[in-house]
Amino acid sequence: MTEGRLEDGDDVRETVRAAIAHLSHGLPAQAPIRDFVHHNTLHGFQALPFPEAVDAARRLTGAAAYLADDHFRDLLRAGRVRRADLAAVVDEASELDPDAEVAECAGGPLRRREVYLAALMHPLRPVTGCQLTWLSEELAAFEAVQPDVDPPTRERLLATARARGLASEREAVADLWAGCLARLGLAHFILHPEDLLDLDPEQAQAMLARTVGDLPGTPGASRVQRRLGAESDKVLDELIGRVGVDLTLRGLLLALTGEDILEPVRPALLRQLANHLDHGVAAWHSPDRGRGFYVAWREAARADLVWLFTDLPNWHDLLDALPDDPVETVVVLLKRMGLPVARWAGYLERLALEIPGWSGMVLWHHLHPGAAGPSGPVDMTDYLAVRLVLERALGRRLCARLWQVDSQLDLIRWHLRHHRAELYVRHALFNARLPEYLTRLAQRLVDRGAEDPASPEDWQRLAHLVWTWRQSPSADRGEGYTLHRSAWPLFRLAQHLGLDGDEVRALPTPALRAIFDCLERLTPAQAGYLWLQAYERPYRDALLGALAGNRARASARGGTPPTAQVLFCMDDREEGYRRHLEEANPSIETFGTAGFFGLPMYWRGLDDTGLTPLCPVGVTPAHQVHEVAGAEAAATLLAHRSRRGWRVRLQDLLHQESRRGLIASAALIALAAPAALALLAAKVFVPAAAGRWMRVLRTRVDLEVPTRATVTAVAPAVPASPEHPRLGYTDDEQADRVEGLLRAIGLIRFAPLVVIVGHGSSSQNNPHRAAYDCGACSGRHGGPNARAFAAMANRAEVRALLRGRGVVIPEDTWFLAAEHDTCAESIAWMDLDLLPRALAEPFARLRADLTAASRGSAHERCRRLASAPRDARPEQALRHVAGRALDFSQTRPELGHANNAAAVIGRRTLTRGVFFDRRVFLISYDPTLDPEGEVLEAILLAATPVGAGINLEYYFSTVSNEHYGSGSKVTHNLAGLFGVMDGASGDLRTGLPRQMIEVHEPMRLQVVVEARTDLLGRIHARQPVLRELIGNAWVHLVAMDPESGALSLFRPGIGFVAWAPEDRAPTTVARSADWYAGETGPLPPALLAGSGGYHA
Amino acid sequence: MLETAAVLVPGLPLLAALWIALGWATGRNRGEAGERVTARAALVGTGSALAVLLILDLAALWEGPAGQVVAGEWLAAGGYRVHLSFTLDPLALSAATLTALLCLLTLHFAIGYMHREAGFQRFFGLLSLFTAAMLLLVTSGNAVLTFAGWELAGLCSYLLIGYAYDRPMATGNAVRALVANRIGEAGFLLSIALAFQWTGGVEWPGVLSAATGFETLAAGVLGGGLLLAATAKSAQVPFAPWLGRALEGPTPSSALFYGAVMVHAGVYLVIRIEPIIVEVPALGVFLAVTGALTALYGFLGGLLQADVKSGLAFSVTAQVGLMFLACGLGWFELAGWHMGAHAAWRAYQFLSAPGYLHLVSRPARPVPAWLARRRGLYTATLRRFWLDPIADWLLVEPVRALASETQAFDARVVSRVIGLPSEVGAPASLAEWEAQGEGRAVGADLGEARGAAGRLMAWLARTLGWLEDRLVMQRGGAGAGAVLRRVGEYLLHIDDLFSQPRYLFLIIVVSLVVVLS
Repeated sequence: MTEGRLEDGDDVRETVRAAIAHLSHGLPAQAPIRDFVHHNTLHGFQALPFPEAVDAARRLTGAAAYLADDHFRDLLRAGRVRRADLAAVVDEASELDPDAEVAECAGGPLRRREVYLAALMHPLRPVTGCQLTWLSEELAAFEAVQPDVDPPTRERLLATARARGLASEREAVADLWAGCLARLGLAHFILHPEDLLDLDPEQAQAMLARTVGDLPGTPGASRVQRRLGAESDKVLDELIGRVGVDLTLRGLLLALTGEDILEPVRPALLRQLANHLDHGVAAWHSPDRGRGFYVAWREAARADLVWLFTDLPNWHDLLDALPDDPVETVVVLLKRMGLPVARWAGYLERLALEIPGWSGMVLWHHLHPGAAGPSGPVDMTDYLAVRLVLERALGRRLCARLWQVDSQLDLIRWHLRHHRAELYVRHALFNARLPEYLTRLAQRLVDRGAEDPASPEDWQRLAHLVWTWRQSPSADRGEGYTLHRSAWPLFRLAQHLGLDGDEVRALPTPALRAIFDCLERLTPAQAGYLWLQAYERPYRDALLGALAGNRARASARGGTPPTAQVLFCMDDREEGYRRHLEEANPSIETFGTAGFFGLPMYWRGLDDTGLTPLCPVGVTPAHQVHEVAGAEAAATLLAHRSRRGWRVRLQDLLHQESRRGLIASAALIALAAPAALALLAAKVFVPAAAGRWMRVLRTRVDLEVPTRATVTAVAPAVPASPEHPRLGYTDDEQADRVEGLLRAIGLIRFAPLVVIVGHGSSSQNNPHRAAYDCGACSGRHGGPNARAFAAMANRAEVRALLRGRGVVIPEDTWFLAAEHDTCAESIAWMDLDLLPRALAEPFARLRADLTAASRGSAHERCRRLASAPRDARPEQALRHVAGRALDFSQTRPELGHANNAAAVIGRRTLTRGVFFDRRVFLISYDPTLDPEGEVLEAILLAATPVGAGINLEYYFSTVSNEHYGSGSKVTHNLAGLFGVMDGASGDLRTGLPRQMIEVHEPMRLQVVVEARTDLLGRIHARQPVLRELIGNAWVHLVAMDPESGALSLFRPGIGFVAWAPEDRAPTTVARSADWYAGETGPLPPALLAGSGGYHA
Repeated sequence: MLETAAVLVPGLPLLAALWIALGWATGRNRGEAGERVTARAALVGTGSALAVLLILDLAALWEGPAGQVVAGEWLAAGGYRVHLSFTLDPLALSAATLTALLCLLTLHFAIGYMHREAGFQRFFGLLSLFTAAMLLLVTSGNAVLTFAGWELAGLCSYLLIGYAYDRPMATGNAVRALVANRIGEAGFLLSIALAFQWTGGVEWPGVLSAATGFETLAAGVLGGGLLLAATAKSAQVPFAPWLGRALEGPTPSSALFYGAVMVHAGVYLVIRIEPIIVEVPALGVFLAVTGALTALYGFLGGLLQADVKSGLAFSVTAQVGLMFLACGLGWFELAGWHMGAHAAWRAYQFLSAPGYLHLVSRPARPVPAWLARRRGLYTATLRRFWLDPIADWLLVEPVRALASETQAFDARVVSRVIGLPSEVGAPASLAEWEAQGEGRAVGADLGEARGAAGRLMAWLARTLGWLEDRLVMQRGGAGAGAVLRRVGEYLLHIDDLFSQPRYLFLIIVVSLVVVLS
């Protein structure tokens, strides 16, 4: 292969590079798990409309894009999906032509709409021969009306039949079946496949006449032979044509031989890859790690002896002939295989998608070369080159063993063209459904060893058997109407439409064609999308109904000035907390905004060694904020540093060295064992108490150091830029940030206490921990941002500047910072020592209110947690959730964003006093302060992608947990500190684990904005990000007019249309707890009468 | 009193397992609603076994260890007697207590961890069964009972590696682990048979004291079989790779089986048969060498595993290797203490493995430069010293070839001889019909067949016609010659087969068995 210098040089290289650049579309884009941030799983397809995108992804990866139809049907029966909504979404799908008339029936005109609805609500799937036999013989399907036909239709059907003189149900149904068959020109034919082993002459003649009748008989080759040859040629061309489109060489060989050439080498390959990407589990890496994976792999492979045992005699020749440059290797091997250049990109994509998780992780490192992690370079080309070399070596081995040819596409094609019967049988065995008697025979031929190969006659004979079976009616292959694909669905459809035998017989041909056209148009993708829309509607209507109802109520309420104002993250979990806080003390006003509080910054905590960006993904901060100890605490700091250093070193020693060494580990284990056993027992039996002891112990050991955040720039003259983030903000910058946020949320009149609450989540033994943290802070805790914001807003200099800009913060107003632990429902306060003494008493009251809110929120959460105590008192509930956070056996410390479904951007008056079941992102925005919509534009740009990312990740992880989610946590194994995999040699699993999504209702986000439609339309039109998300229906947009309160739905391509309220008024209950008491499932919004002490 | 109490130790968890299985079968503990009652049964079973053990421990402290107690007779066949006996010496009591405690902790851990898993009941049932098996293994008073526990534990391990049985990787690895252990169990069975033969019984004290009186070779064979079993169960070289593949199950079962408890069963057995090993220096040398090699294997392997569970598994292998080494050097007491400490620590470490990301603050300490440079050693370690491919090459492939040849023999010879329908004789494809349509129509002269008997007759007639056609009529009476020629080919083929090494090996094994019996 040394001739593999690239004559055509840069062109092909460019092809390979472009192909790699394109890979990010189909591969999971998840970052290393420490930095888990929710994002749209199908981000690569976001430029397409939602239904097209999910379908394109399904074609690429095979993953389901919607809940299963049967699941939706269950929801329909349970009343969660309404028939009327289903009808409405069918009506809206103009491409389906729902109003077109199919036929004039006795009961009036039959329109396509009814056919679609019947097909949606009742599976009209084609059946196989065996299924039809079963339906007929075991389920008596031709003697009774189908069990899922609704009673009125059944009655109507039977009544019509009675009128015609068919007295019994049995006669009526038999007549209907006969009618279907007669209309389609078919004969009732139930055949067991084994009957074909003994063909009866008439049947054989009939089949012969039907299939080869048109071919003139020629001497030499029989007509059957020629027909079979033509079919196998077609199969071969199609298979080879799929290579580079949706098959790799491995896929091709798998389709032909049932043997997976990757399987025997996958564990070792992944092991080496994990070792290469490792972020710190392994102590020993390849000596060639710094030269890239390709070189490292090749050097290891040279020293490998595995070829000795595995029949790879040309192993070393292959390795020696490989070019040093991976791009060249890719090019040479693809050429070698004989793949046209046009299909290279597709081939590499397929290759990567065979192990999507690992490929995605390599690609992530490839695209983020500066990120912390592996010490060596990570390049996607390296990885693909290795995959191709392995495929070449193993493919060649398999092809040589089976067919004595090289693994080039042309040679494989040439060989199989001369062994058509073998190809035909192999293809049928591995890619089609064969009856058991044929499968057994075929498998036996395929299994013949090299010492006893099957002869061409064996293949020939079996090929004839398979072919014969395929011609029989039970294989259901012919064109035109067939028993299994036409008659059976028609039979079922007729029952659901209430058509009797005569009516079916009387259907004119265009009507018949229209019916089957309807069934054809209702592809799984189409049906799934219709179901999804119908599924979203009841929630949307209830949500909008509640908002409308609450608006009417709110305008009627007066109020008093708030005693305190509390600013939370927009996070859906804070909805519950805010509601409970307002219920506990109605004089508190709350706000919501993205949880970095408009302060993108690099944070360095007291004990951190590096900088952590605390801002939404995609934003690069230009400032740093450090946590530093005050001068008075210098001595404590020294002690803290040293003691904490010791503790961390000891912890590392225990966890790392006890597995890294040999004799030293033995000694370490012997020393640690008694304590470990006691600790284990404590953690298992009394997790909460053990966790608290550990925490106290840790604080005692580490010592607490009083600290401050350095928000003010020491050297304001130095410019701040993303490349050189400056420590601290200048006074002007601080005033800008503070003013920006206050105006954005509409906070212009201040209570004495203003609390900024960031949030994070604490849990144990949880590799997905970052997924529970603040999404607006890149999956970290948002406390530092709150702290920095409060510190800025309290500075006299900043307040002076703000006053100049019209934002007057009264002298006696104080900003406080806190962090809400959404798992344990605890509040941690920061910089409390600075609180003016005059505010001590209001603060104590506020603190008590927050504790009450914690209890309420915990109580509400417990209803969704199956293992939480039922009918617990709020105090118990709070203890329970605090215990969960400390329980290292808990795979569901909290439910995260499960069930998030909507976002409301508008004044709190719209949403206050409504129970939203922790499903709504609440973003404060006052349209009256923003006539031009600039603030709104910024909010939409920041919040929509964050909300959509969370919502869509939950959506896709739920509808196809196998592909887009990461399966069950219980078998997960942490790989290289960057991801989880199943077991010790599985694929990396991306997306959310099953434990996080099992209660989620997968719906797209409803974004309700309090703004005029014209304003929204303009913003939408000029912002590409919003056009993509809203215009392509990845999220729904609803406008609420600030003046009139009218609600309009945005329909892509059409514009805003008025929402028609339902007749039902939203339920009103006294308090949240009254509404959710005893309920464990998701609940619709309800109005709360209790939080009435409202301010204007 | 003590006798009865000892039965309870493995008996109570076993009852719990049966109770859970029964509840599942009758549908009473299925689904999420059944989790509580399932978990409670498992906890009560193991918890009460632990309580009984603590009482036994106290009694032992008070009055001295009970030693050998017999609760009854289990099996009796001719002169062979197997008692339901228990050895309640300090070794057994302490090992059993620790085992019960670790099992109880893991069960409790699993309540939250396995919540809402479809396999919840299966998991708790199997874990209870495993607890019973391990407790039986450590407390049993004779080799047969130990073996019963040994087997049951192995079975549970197999079923839990394959917990996610929809993943081929998991089931494949489960089979591999099972098969690797089978080899060791063959050794165990051999030793049991020899113990019956040579000592007349299988009670541990009897066997051990009798064996010390044997000549070295006999004691060596007896002990060697047991050591083989121990080597396989504790994943020592050359069996070591199965442990690396066994991590497919849920975290708690991995912790219990491959971190804390089962992987130490081999060490326990070695300590149990200390007198034999002391008697036969060769066994000690074998142990020391195996242990040292395994320690090295595990240590080097552990250095380059990048996933946490594999890293832990290799470290476990290395530490267990050290225990074997210690036993080989005669430090049984040390090995015992090491085993206990190791079990406790690994239980903790394995159960905390999911949170490893947040437990460590810096990457693992890199290996020294001289090792980091070793390219060949790196590859060998990465390849796990090729133990798996070698095993495939030496054992799996020959066995598979043997199986496929046996099947071919069945299909071609046996089926024909006894008249099973292996290939279809009647024209079944359209091609044949077409050919017949052009030539003469077979079947037309047989008349029409009706009913089952008629069809049978028709079939018989067709088959006979075909036979006649192929054997006699073909090529003007040359059919018989063709048959003879084919027989000759078969014989040549068989000759060819027998010259293959696997058949040679098979013949040698068969001859050995014949000679030995």
